[in-house]
Amino acid sequence: MKRDIDRIHMLMQLTPPSEILRHDKPPEIYPHLYNKGSQSKDFGKKDPQKADKASHINDDIGEVEIPSDMTILIQRTLRSGQSIRYPGHVVILGDVNPGAEVVAGGNILVFGTLRGIAHAGAHGNTKAIVAAFKLNPTQVRIAGYITRAPDNAEDDCVFQHPEVARVYDGKVVIEKLSMGGNKVSTQ
Amino acid sequence: MGEVIVITSGKGGVGKTTTVANIGTGLAKEGYSVVLVDTDIGLRNLDVVLGLENRIVYDIVDVANGHCRLKQALIRDKRLESLYLLPAAQTKDKTAVTEEQMKELCQKLKEDFDYVIIDCPAGIEQGFKNAIAGADRAVVVTTPEVAAVRDADRVIGLLEAAGLNEPDLIINRLRPDMVKQGNMMDIDDIIDILAVDLLGVVPEDEMIVISTNKGEPAVLDSRSNAGEAYRNIAKRITGEDIPIMLLEANEGIMALFKRLIGRKK
Ligand SMILES: Nc1ncnc2c1ncn2[C@@H]1O[C@H](COP(=O)(O)OP(=O)(O)OP(=O)(O)O)[C@@H](O)[C@H]1O
Ligand SMILES: [Mg+2]
Repeated sequence: MKRDIDRIHMLMQLTPPSEILRHDKPPEIYPHLYNKGSQSKDFGKKDPQKADKASHINDDIGEVEIPSDMTILIQRTLRSGQSIRYPGHVVILGDVNPGAEVVAGGNILVFGTLRGIAHAGAHGNTKAIVAAFKLNPTQVRIAGYITRAPDNAEDDCVFQHPEVARVYDGKVVIEKLSMGGNKVSTQ
Repeated sequence: MGEVIVITSGKGGVGKTTTVANIGTGLAKEGYSVVLVDTDIGLRNLDVVLGLENRIVYDIVDVANGHCRLKQALIRDKRLESLYLLPAAQTKDKTAVTEEQMKELCQKLKEDFDYVIIDCPAGIEQGFKNAIAGADRAVVVTTPEVAAVRDADRVIGLLEAAGLNEPDLIINRLRPDMVKQGNMMDIDDIIDILAVDLLGVVPEDEMIVISTNKGEPAVLDSRSNAGEAYRNIAKRITGEDIPIMLLEANEGIMALFKRLIGRKK
């Protein structure tokens, strides 16, 4: 069945050294993402109950379902140098600026402009998505797929409608976020 | 075995990062293998100035702490085959690496590269100590302002105390017109105070702003006066004997003049 895909592009097409930008084996290769940075907020650790839920995801690498109640809401803009790490889903009411980073076990939804780095499905879930009102990221990472913005990207190539990035056919693709046609995975 | 050169200043914003990007690119263009190391953890810029921000996956902190192999963190430049960047981390701070780790890192890098050029953060605290820890040689950048020269003097003292004797000096953002009017320190005034060897003089040049925003070092632009100065500095670093004309700035203006005349033909 043909999907209504408004725009598909593989961010990686203007490739540099591919071994740096694309990894097929996810979690083992960037274990540091789960170490607490001095300035990063590790929300998972604050709530012991949720941290418990999270731990099985850490061990159980792959497509583990993350319950939708494991979601945090960040009501501010993330600026350069700030990062959010959370084993569930992350919703941001604000922007994610260049130099800022969101790492989530589940989906990442940005009600604002994503200009920095978003890593969804960070424990290996390739069904995770990254959605934003404006998607203009430095990098989008989903599970083990790491893709970067094309070089010399003009601002006008950023679409004015909400978009979603997901893994499709082994590639990270960006498409228009339409609530009816292509249902957003809740994984 | 290559050479590790730290570019430092004490004072912030005098042009360390600009200098690292341009000298590094200049050396790579001459055919040397070069790696640029950003030690400004938490306030990294070098990746942006080189237009490589979107390629960063691992950084210097990951390497220092063994989270990845050194080779995985090195980012190859878009334009030059022999130029690499080891980026700083943005979400950590200066204490995320130690002087010991920096020494080890520099040792490893100089086995593989002709030149290892280190972008030092402003200040004289831990970040500065890390940046100079593995260096064989230091270059101090200053602008022709009393405060910058004062800080440069302080830094030269600290470098000597750390065993990095006889650092070289780069004077950045010189404006010959202002010097002529007596409104800016001239080269002799500065050398008189600092008593070190002059490696080059870089004129104030608005092309630097343009090239920095575009992520393309000015040294690659044959029309840029500052680029010209950096090309000469790169050659001097390799040991080529290129005299510092009375003012490299004047040289640049002369070159511009010639081009203007040339264009009329
Ligand atoms: N020769 C020059 N002509 C014009 N502008 C310049 C020149 N050199 C540097 N600049 C500008 O000065 C500013 C500071 O330069 P740069 O970032 O290289 O300094 P820095 O010493 O690395 O700063 P920091 O201490 O914050 O790391 C930049 O905006 C840069 O474009
Ligand atoms: Mg700098």
